[in-house]
Amino acid sequence: MENWYQRLVLAGLLGMPLVAQAGEGPPRQVVNPDIERRELRQVDIDTEDFEVSVYSGILSIQDFESDVVYGVRAAWHITEDFFVEGSYGQSEGDETSYEKLSGGSPLFAGGERDYTFYNLSLGWNALPGEIFITDRYAFKSDLYFVLGAGSTDFLDDNWFTVTAGAGYRLLLTDWLAWRLDVRDHIFDRDTFGEDETTHNLELSTALTVFF
Amino acid sequence: MTCPDYHRRIGSGFIERRVLPVLLLLVVAGLPGANPARAEEDVAESFVTQAYIEMRTQPGRGYPVFYVAERGERIELLKRRTDWIKVRNARGIEGWVHVDDIGRTVDAHGDALALSSPNYEGYTERDWEFGVLVGDYGDTDAFGGYLGWHFTRNLSLELAATENFGDASDGTMGTLSITHQLYPTARYSPFLTLGGGVRETRPRSTLVESQDRTDNVASVGLGVRVHLFQRMFLRLQYKHYSVMTDRDDDEEVDEWKIGISAWY
Repeated sequence: MENWYQRLVLAGLLGMPLVAQAGEGPPRQVVNPDIERRELRQVDIDTEDFEVSVYSGILSIQDFESDVVYGVRAAWHITEDFFVEGSYGQSEGDETSYEKLSGGSPLFAGGERDYTFYNLSLGWNALPGEIFITDRYAFKSDLYFVLGAGSTDFLDDNWFTVTAGAGYRLLLTDWLAWRLDVRDHIFDRDTFGEDETTHNLELSTALTVFF
Repeated sequence: MTCPDYHRRIGSGFIERRVLPVLLLLVVAGLPGANPARAEEDVAESFVTQAYIEMRTQPGRGYPVFYVAERGERIELLKRRTDWIKVRNARGIEGWVHVDDIGRTVDAHGDALALSSPNYEGYTERDWEFGVLVGDYGDTDAFGGYLGWHFTRNLSLELAATENFGDASDGTMGTLSITHQLYPTARYSPFLTLGGGVRETRPRSTLVESQDRTDNVASVGLGVRVHLFQRMFLRLQYKHYSVMTDRDDDEEVDEWKIGISAWY
């Protein structure tokens, strides 16, 4: 009897809030979850992964002596180890030894000797380092290797060119650097009758800006 | 005796204090991203919540840790280079902290900063990709670059330039393609591509009949992207081109390429 009565009261008490809640709308939150929602705040931070350079140096064109080369480069530093770089440069071939010795009329017209090239390379900062000048100043440096492909316009034809080389970058500030580059531009040329592989060594120095 | 020295000191001081800063400002103001005034405006600050964070002398994993910022310390975020962020603490000490460590610091409201090194999730949700490819176009050496924009996870528009070098002729080609990757989250992700463009063919200067010509091209192809690490992935592709020449038959050319790409 008592049991039956208690059950009725309990059922009434439990049922009441359910009925009341159904009328009021959303259920009240009884327990606060102990997890705070983590908001991620976007940060507008200056990213300096791009590098542009103006360079000049000497290009030794196989059979056509050496001449001044100058050009521009732009690089994107994808990680601290790797970067991709596009280069464009121009130079001019001089007279071949044959032309000088024979004393005859030149084999190529002036415009044909223009040497322009562009290439896209993958660079690897293989040996990062730090240079210490006195005990007050330390500068970041990188010794890197590059391998790429591109096109060379020389003697009125375009040549598929593989570029390989190494370079050294010294960061004078976070955004200004000085570079030294040695690159071999390798392409097969059939201008003198048969295919021959030519190596055209470029030695250059550059001032670069990171932004 | 002291007079000339005095004047010289005034003179050199003038150059150092007045002229040099103005010259430097003029040079620096012209360089994008190097403007110190702008950098100051962009300064974000953050508080160390982990036990400590390590500050290195230069942006690179091998450089020595010269300072350790402790829990509760306030740091200013100055700039980022690849995975490293240059920071300055309240005492003016500057150093480079890995971006993942900065991602665990919080702002003044206690919210974590949305900074992390590029990861696989970022790769699957990339907006842009860019790559350099080399290979073979109709038995000639070819190389080129492309830029892709992903407007959905599966579909992207790709603008590509290819140059090829043959014994009889050279060519330059520009194409616009739509590319569909079937499984965007897969590490080895196959794709199909369909496009069209323009090709300029230039007979070699050694040939007598040297008339440049420009033709329309249509292309169909397939390939695979393989994620390597961080922002870098490998791309292998085969494309078949139909070059619509003025002659009776179109030129049918097969192209194979391999390249390195990066996403953004």
